[in-house]
Amino acid sequence: MLDLKNIRKSYLLGTVEVEILKGVDLHVDRGEMLAVVGASGCGKSTLMNIMGFLDVPSSGEYLFRGRSAQGLSDEELSHIRNTDIGFVFQQFNLLSRLTALDNVGLPLVYRGVPVKERRERGREMLDRVGMGERWRHRPGELSGGQQQRVAIARALCGQPSIILADEPTGALDTATSRDIMDLFASLNRDEGITVVLITHDPGLAKRCARSVCMVDGLVETV
Amino acid sequence: MILSENIQESLNSLWGAKQRSLLALIGIVIGIGSVIAMVAVGQIVENESIRQFREMGTDVCMVRENVLPGKHGKRGGSAGMSLADVAKVPGQCPAIRTVAPYVNLYSRLTRDGRRVPCPGLGVTGGFRDMFKVPMAEGRFISDLDGYESFCVLGHTKAEWLRAQGAGALVGSDVLFGGRLYTVVGVAGPVLSGSFRPYEINEGIMVPIRLALRLPDRPRIGAFAARMTGSGETGEATRQVKAFFRYTNRMNVDVVGAEDLVAQMERQMRMFTLMLGAIGSIALIVGGVGVMNVMLVSVSERRREIGIRRALGAERKDIQLQFLVESVVLSFVGGILGLLLGVGAVAVICRFTGWEFFVSFLSVLLGVGVSAAVGIFFGYYPARQAARLSPIDALRSE
Ligand SMILES: Nc1ncnc2c1ncn2[C@@H]1O[C@H](COP(=O)(O)OP(=O)(O)O)[C@@H](O)[C@H]1O
Ligand SMILES: [Mg+2]
Repeated sequence: MLDLKNIRKSYLLGTVEVEILKGVDLHVDRGEMLAVVGASGCGKSTLMNIMGFLDVPSSGEYLFRGRSAQGLSDEELSHIRNTDIGFVFQQFNLLSRLTALDNVGLPLVYRGVPVKERRERGREMLDRVGMGERWRHRPGELSGGQQQRVAIARALCGQPSIILADEPTGALDTATSRDIMDLFASLNRDEGITVVLITHDPGLAKRCARSVCMVDGLVETV
Repeated sequence: MILSENIQESLNSLWGAKQRSLLALIGIVIGIGSVIAMVAVGQIVENESIRQFREMGTDVCMVRENVLPGKHGKRGGSAGMSLADVAKVPGQCPAIRTVAPYVNLYSRLTRDGRRVPCPGLGVTGGFRDMFKVPMAEGRFISDLDGYESFCVLGHTKAEWLRAQGAGALVGSDVLFGGRLYTVVGVAGPVLSGSFRPYEINEGIMVPIRLALRLPDRPRIGAFAARMTGSGETGEATRQVKAFFRYTNRMNVDVVGAEDLVAQMERQMRMFTLMLGAIGSIALIVGGVGVMNVMLVSVSERRREIGIRRALGAERKDIQLQFLVESVVLSFVGGILGLLLGVGAVAVICRFTGWEFFVSFLSVLLGVGVSAAVGIFFGYYPARQAARLSPIDALRSE
């Protein structure tokens, strides 16, 4: 599914070049549920942004579904994000002006799906994450756990082949975290969606079939 | 993204920043208002001049005594033209066919103890044909009326008398300037402006011989003349000027229909220039305001841009979203400006006596210009938004 080979990423801080990813090798299989753990600031998000085509590596090769990501145009990258990838962020990243339902339908907006169909699909997705009753609410009227469920519904709405979740439970309490983890596990198990889950909580990582650890800009298998 | 949703989205977001949006709108409102007023005034003047020709004909001119002291002229305080001299003009000047001299009176009209200020005109029988005065009732003043105390009521004054509860007007007596006049006719309403004295509507008309003998000794300062040709004032002007210089050592000015139109066009150019200047400055100010609103909006919504990009929005989707927002903003300004412009035209028409009218074309132009301002000044901010990289946008607070 995903193949990262010797991925490097460095940032220029003032005049100093700081290398965050120092040659990451990682392979993710179709249908897998993978946890990436590591201390805060070690570059997990940087890695995920590269995997999700939000950012580009400084060097290295990235194969997405067997296809090299190099030299893809902005339109092509947008298209891959739209159809193949579902993002779940720590801060939920819902649009506060829109209702839960319209937030969920957002990926379909950029496929030109008419509003009626989007809402139908949005309702299905909200039902799937147990938020069917709250479709009318705006993010500000929902709890953190509920917002994250809506965000997961949004990630699912475009029927992606992979979900990239960057510390999805980082802003939630333990009980809610467990519910969200259950949701990911069931999506992976019942629908065969590939899930890459980033977390700094080893407890959550244990619930994934496989986990890798990021140390000093490199990925090590645990 | 579908356009109608983009429009709805942008209304939401603009409503979210009401104050800022409103400030930007002021410039657009004034700008579009001026543009609309400018175009409308141009068209009104064009209509006015057409109406001018249709109403009175192109062969009418106005002869006025030049009261400014000149080389050949007498100084101020002249006795004016004599009725006999004016009557000789058609015979002496081949270019002039008929004349209609008149004098202005100013007094009060009294009825049942109620008084209104009322202007009057001393007129000849030919006055009616010269100024195309329609009669609602009775007859017009005739040259055979001589020194009789007869009068014709103007439309507005007749209305006033009726409002006072007057019965049949023709045949009744009215008190004007301390003298009783018998009403012989009531004039219908006429369009004012052009050469027509406004007293035709607003005052009363009495025989000119009588008027000239009234105690305040009014004088003939002007008369209207119909020319034999179709409106070539050059020859008529020469002949009339020569006639008055020879008989009276008096300087006169002759104004033809085309002079009147030219004067109106000068007036229009002044309005157009003024409105054009105000309009373009206001549009630039408004445009910069729109640009500012949009730049702030883009920087405030970087995260939203990032989210949309993460969900698959292409650069052009983002660009369109912000462009639609700025067009919607200035479009709202355009609609308000439309109202302002129509109001301004109404005011101008009141001042000049022109007939109020706003064409579809000027409305279309205002709407078009406002959309253009939105696109022009919204392009740069929208482009800024579209150029943000997804990760930079997403990472901003
Ligand atoms: N745009 C950037 N410019 C400079 N430094 C950055 C940038 N993005 C991330 N970093 C740095 O890279 C490091 C890794 O960040 P991140 O991937 O967010 O870590 P994690 O998600 O593991 O907590 C941090 O030290 C952060 O300061
Ligand atoms: Mg992180």
